[in-house]
Amino acid sequence: MKKYIYSIALAASLSGCSFLNPTEVTNPNVTDEVFVDNPNAAASWLNGMRRQLALTLNQTVVLGELTSDNYYNNRTQSSKVFDIPQIISTDVDVNTLQATVQKLREMGYFGIETVAPKDAATTDDMLAEMYFLRGIASMFCGEYFVGLPGSALSEIMHPEQHLHLAIADFEKAMSLSDDVSQKTACLLAMARSYYHMGDKTNAVKYAEDVLVADPMYIKEIGYDGVNGVSNSMQFFLFDSSNDEFAPLPRLDFLDPKYYSIGNPDQDQKPVALLKAEEAYFILAEAALADNQLEKAKTQLKNLLQEVIAQRPTASIDDSKETRSGGNRTDYPLTDDYWLKTNPDAPARTGFILDRQKGNVTIPVVSGTSVTAVEIDAATTVDELLETLYLMRQEVFLAEGRRVIDLGIKYPVSDIEYRNNSNVQAEHIRAQIPDFIPGNRELDDFTNDVENKQITLTIDMNKVLVENKTNPAVVPFF
Amino acid sequence: MKNLQLQVGLFLYFMMLSVLGNGQVTSTRKVQGKVVDQITSEPLPGTSVQLLGLNQGTITDADGYFLFNNIVTGQIKIQVRYMGYKTKTVDFDLFQNSSEIVIELEEDVLGLEEVVISGQGIDVEKRRLSTNVSSMSSEEIERVPSQRIDQLLQSAVPNLQIKMTGGQPGSTSLARARGIVSAFVNSTPIVYVDGVRIDNLNTAPELGLVTSGSRHQGAATSALADIPVENIEKIEFINGGAATTLYGSDAANGVIQIFTKKGGEGKAKVTFETQWGVEKANTDFYYFDRTDELFFESGLMQKHRMGINGGSENFGYSLSGSIFHTDGTRIHKQNENTRYDLRSSFRAELGKKATYHSSFGYTSNQFNRVRNGNAGGYTGLWFTEGGASLFTGPGFNNKIDELSQEEFDVMKAYVDKAEALQNFQTNVNRFQTSQSIILKPVKNLTIKALAGVDYRVQKETGITTNEYLNHTRAAKPGSETTTEGSISNYDRKFLGLTLELTGQYNLQVGDFSFLSTGGGQLFRNEDHQSAYIGTNLRDGAQTISGAANLTSDEYYSEVANYGLYFQESIGFKDRYFFEFGLRGDRNSAFGDNIGTQFFPKVGASYVLSDEAFFEGLKEAVSYVKVRANYGVAGNFPTPFAHQRTIAFAGFRNEQAATFGQAGNADLKPERVKTFEVGADLAFVRDRISLGVNYYQSNTVDALFVVPAAPSTGQNEQLRNIGKIENKGWEISTRIAVLQNKDWKVNVRAAVNTLKNKVTDAGGAAPFNINGFSPRTIQTVVEEGQPVGYLRGNKGTFSSEGVMTGTEAQANLGTTLPDLFGNLGVDIQFKRLSVFANADYQAGAYAHSFDRQFRFNYQVSNEGIPQAEIDANGRKNWLNFTDRFVEKTDFLKVRIIGANYTFPKTVLGNYFEQVNLGVSVTNPFNFTSSSFDPEVSQSGGSQGQNGASTGGIAYGVVSSPRQFIATLKVSF
Repeated sequence: MKKYIYSIALAASLSGCSFLNPTEVTNPNVTDEVFVDNPNAAASWLNGMRRQLALTLNQTVVLGELTSDNYYNNRTQSSKVFDIPQIISTDVDVNTLQATVQKLREMGYFGIETVAPKDAATTDDMLAEMYFLRGIASMFCGEYFVGLPGSALSEIMHPEQHLHLAIADFEKAMSLSDDVSQKTACLLAMARSYYHMGDKTNAVKYAEDVLVADPMYIKEIGYDGVNGVSNSMQFFLFDSSNDEFAPLPRLDFLDPKYYSIGNPDQDQKPVALLKAEEAYFILAEAALADNQLEKAKTQLKNLLQEVIAQRPTASIDDSKETRSGGNRTDYPLTDDYWLKTNPDAPARTGFILDRQKGNVTIPVVSGTSVTAVEIDAATTVDELLETLYLMRQEVFLAEGRRVIDLGIKYPVSDIEYRNNSNVQAEHIRAQIPDFIPGNRELDDFTNDVENKQITLTIDMNKVLVENKTNPAVVPFF
Repeated sequence: MKNLQLQVGLFLYFMMLSVLGNGQVTSTRKVQGKVVDQITSEPLPGTSVQLLGLNQGTITDADGYFLFNNIVTGQIKIQVRYMGYKTKTVDFDLFQNSSEIVIELEEDVLGLEEVVISGQGIDVEKRRLSTNVSSMSSEEIERVPSQRIDQLLQSAVPNLQIKMTGGQPGSTSLARARGIVSAFVNSTPIVYVDGVRIDNLNTAPELGLVTSGSRHQGAATSALADIPVENIEKIEFINGGAATTLYGSDAANGVIQIFTKKGGEGKAKVTFETQWGVEKANTDFYYFDRTDELFFESGLMQKHRMGINGGSENFGYSLSGSIFHTDGTRIHKQNENTRYDLRSSFRAELGKKATYHSSFGYTSNQFNRVRNGNAGGYTGLWFTEGGASLFTGPGFNNKIDELSQEEFDVMKAYVDKAEALQNFQTNVNRFQTSQSIILKPVKNLTIKALAGVDYRVQKETGITTNEYLNHTRAAKPGSETTTEGSISNYDRKFLGLTLELTGQYNLQVGDFSFLSTGGGQLFRNEDHQSAYIGTNLRDGAQTISGAANLTSDEYYSEVANYGLYFQESIGFKDRYFFEFGLRGDRNSAFGDNIGTQFFPKVGASYVLSDEAFFEGLKEAVSYVKVRANYGVAGNFPTPFAHQRTIAFAGFRNEQAATFGQAGNADLKPERVKTFEVGADLAFVRDRISLGVNYYQSNTVDALFVVPAAPSTGQNEQLRNIGKIENKGWEISTRIAVLQNKDWKVNVRAAVNTLKNKVTDAGGAAPFNINGFSPRTIQTVVEEGQPVGYLRGNKGTFSSEGVMTGTEAQANLGTTLPDLFGNLGVDIQFKRLSVFANADYQAGAYAHSFDRQFRFNYQVSNEGIPQAEIDANGRKNWLNFTDRFVEKTDFLKVRIIGANYTFPKTVLGNYFEQVNLGVSVTNPFNFTSSSFDPEVSQSGGSQGQNGASTGGIAYGVVSSPRQFIATLKVSF
């Protein structure tokens, strides 16, 4: 009998290490101790933060554009209710948005406090970029949310407090960095942060600094389709085999800002995080707030001629775009359409492109329907302010900024609420100003097929100016 | 006359043995005989015959005969056991009696004397147990023409509910017995084949194909679909609880044990079986009549099987192989399935005290799939039943039945090509082996050493051509893509290893009997998945080697579980029984702070009807046993989920690090504590049996994937924070309506109730286990609710029928039935038997996304008031998801079949046995819902092997109907 047992034991032991060490398992993971104790961890972590920013932008852009009047979800993917806009704290998209922004911030803390100090290869420029990226996270916290914890599970901080945190990080990044472009990015981010705080003096100061440094400045965030970090907005605007998002018809001529030629994975367009146009808008709005109509006109005309006109355009075959997502089938498709921006506005042409006639030319950084003549024609602050907000809408299209201009802020997520006793009931309610219409009217229009005329239900730029003193919008008023 | 037949039979038998060289029939000290059914006198092949006290045993041959040679004792006791019959012990005087004997066995309707193994280490009589064991005999298994173990068990085990989530080959099933004990681990019981734990993954893997591997894309591929079903002797099922305590950290959902045939004794019996049939799509639930014409056609099904079974006193063998092929019901053979099964088993005596058992099994399973569920783009049922034909491809009038013939022909041509151009193939190769030695070194001691392996390799390939994309998108000439063709490959390799050493000692002291069992078991699973994908490929490419872009991914998981167990069963006067046991487990998936986990059990049973005072009642009440038990079983957490990790990805040609798992050093198995009381009763001389159980199981330390507070920046983490309660009644009965020499009519029924509730979520926010975004439909785990209840928007309407409001994330009903069970009838008239099985459920709800899409895409109003449509069009379609949720009560007849065994007088000497069978699977459905209440997204949103309760019907085909004729010949 024994010989059988011995034979089996021998055979088993020769048949593989599983038999020799049956309780041993191979760990496929890298633990945080192993990571931090190995060389060049900071470079890997910094690139992880860049990747996280790309992922964060995907959320702020896609969800922000849907929530605003810029884009309508004409199909089934992504949020189906932000278009209404219906924003509740239990919505997974609310949680995703908060999580992605705060993950970038927490990665910043871990990178600056844990990874960088243990890695001898960390340079000041690397550290500066970590501060900058953490600052961007704090800036988003201040721009998009009614309030958020300032650190893990901490008390809720007001948007302004987040913006102050952001500014402190941008200042630190500037002090560490020797890179001109990085410094300009910090200047522009500070101008933007002060703008959203309504701090006209500082916003103007940094905006002017930006124009001195580089009046065509742009900080773009790149994507990597091969490694699963695709530009989500590009998917919804162009790459999806279905027509997913449809722009407000008045913005049709600017769509798609992102597109691909050939395999989409290989051609993922970047998204602008910061661009010099912002500085011109800040200076123009500040001038209007000071009742300096002509100065504002000059800023906006300079913007038109010196920046927007110089930004690149692309000739795109967008013939597969037929706005046939399924939820609405009445989007205009031909360039003989007239458009009224509200029921009382005059009908104008030039907004709708006919994508079946051949390639269309699309501004891929900044574009606008506004002309110098229209700017000059403005006779009041309010008229030009409306033009300014239209230009902001057009220039920042598909960059996730319009929702902030509309004064909408997302609530703290329900999951945070359940895990963090500092969150109060007031923090889990979205901020949606009273003047924002519900029932998907932000994206709504009528199509008079016979007369080829589109009439938008509401012109939100007009509404913004009417409500310019509302603290949620138009910061300098 | 009978004696004459017996003598002739015995003469022929021994003549044959002589011819084969085995027949030392001239011995004067021999015991020979035949074992037959008491009522029908039919021989019982494969019966175990033991000479008590002599440590000699054999089994009967194909004609029920047995033979012992060289018996030296005059007075002997012969004990005869056969599954499904009461064990009989016969005194035999070799000097006085003839050396030939006929032993008649009485059918054991209650199965009380059955010897079972599951949960007991080696084996034990059911009579001693305080828990239930359900079993299925080879006869029951062989008459169901299924290739899948879960379909075999469907409607056959009283309290096990099995629902197929889809009708494409290899689809996953939802298997559950005592509710849903876990909100994290799938409810599929673990499966052992000949004592070896095998892969039972019944959800999508971590990496998988769009038509099968992705969690929201409809039918995922199940590892249950290719467990070899050849040559099964018996299947046992035990519920999670005290019955599964000896399986420790891995058995809270119950255990299915499959035992293969190890060969008989005597001459080789060759069996050839051929099955021919037709498969037809089940189109009962489709909205459009023309859906059938667009996608389906009848498919030819065939299976051919050959087996050889035989052996000698010291050696038994059983070989079996089969080839199965079906065209499937989808046009262009897009659900074609080819399968090869091979099984060899044998047993050999190694001297007087040891027996060697061996089994090898091999399965090759290949099938095609088409896009289903939420696969997007052109997806068959979404195109028609979801109304997406409105905008897919060139766009059509989506009211398909209203199309003119010309219009329909255009659509049909589009669909035909879109179906033909799809290319999704799955190929599984699976090898299993179990090797064991049973040693009986001293009287009453049995030691079993077992080692075994399950190796399963699944390869999925999806080829998407530019031609397919251009066709389905209706690309205009000149703008066709030539750069988006792709091939996606997903490999999953599973290696499971089981080692077990068990000892059992049997001691009789006066009126006391002791059955002591102890042992140790180790199993380890390795799961290695890889994806390699090529995009920008020219049409015609079959491999990714020529792709302009290549991407790949990998997933690796490994777990080792090892534990010791001990169990004592004490009997007194063979009617009072008390048992207790304990298993201690260690597992590599436990957190660093967690040591050995202990799982105790205790139980008692009392066979009241064996008391002397009961004698007078026995005519009316023939058997009464009461029992109670308490036991703990577990589910271990996901391997490596306890570690705090850093995750990496490539980003813009550089390494990019980020937070991985948050880590949990206290991660341990969830523990299911089950208390059960029950009674087994029989009336009218066992002609009516009744089993009644009440159980309450409380899962503590339930594993929840808890989303981290977003401010922490961390990802979700697995934690032991939940509590789940399941309780219910399990009642089963079997009534022998008629029982005589010509007729046997049995009916059986099982009724189970279930109350399931998450009693404590540990503060975790509700989370989704199967579904989409919170704004559409999800099945959710939330405190105070049943696991996997449907959550979505609920609309309120004015008296005129216009929507006035919507309640976000409202409870739209449970997906778990509060009542379920099955029904069966077996009628045997002489050589003809007819049988039918059905199962049913009540009290559950499911959501039809197909209906909701039909409303949105204006196919139909789907019961939404016209006033709402007039006022708001379809834009509120997601605000009253409750209107697309329906009650899913059903009664489904799973199979109706008939078998005829030809009499030997017709067969002559050429054939041993000839059977002709016909059957129809899935013939009838009676449902309360307008859609198939059984089909669902596979679920598993929490990851591979994640919990799912079904409940979301979305573009998934139903299981087909099969009309099958079987001819089985033995010689």
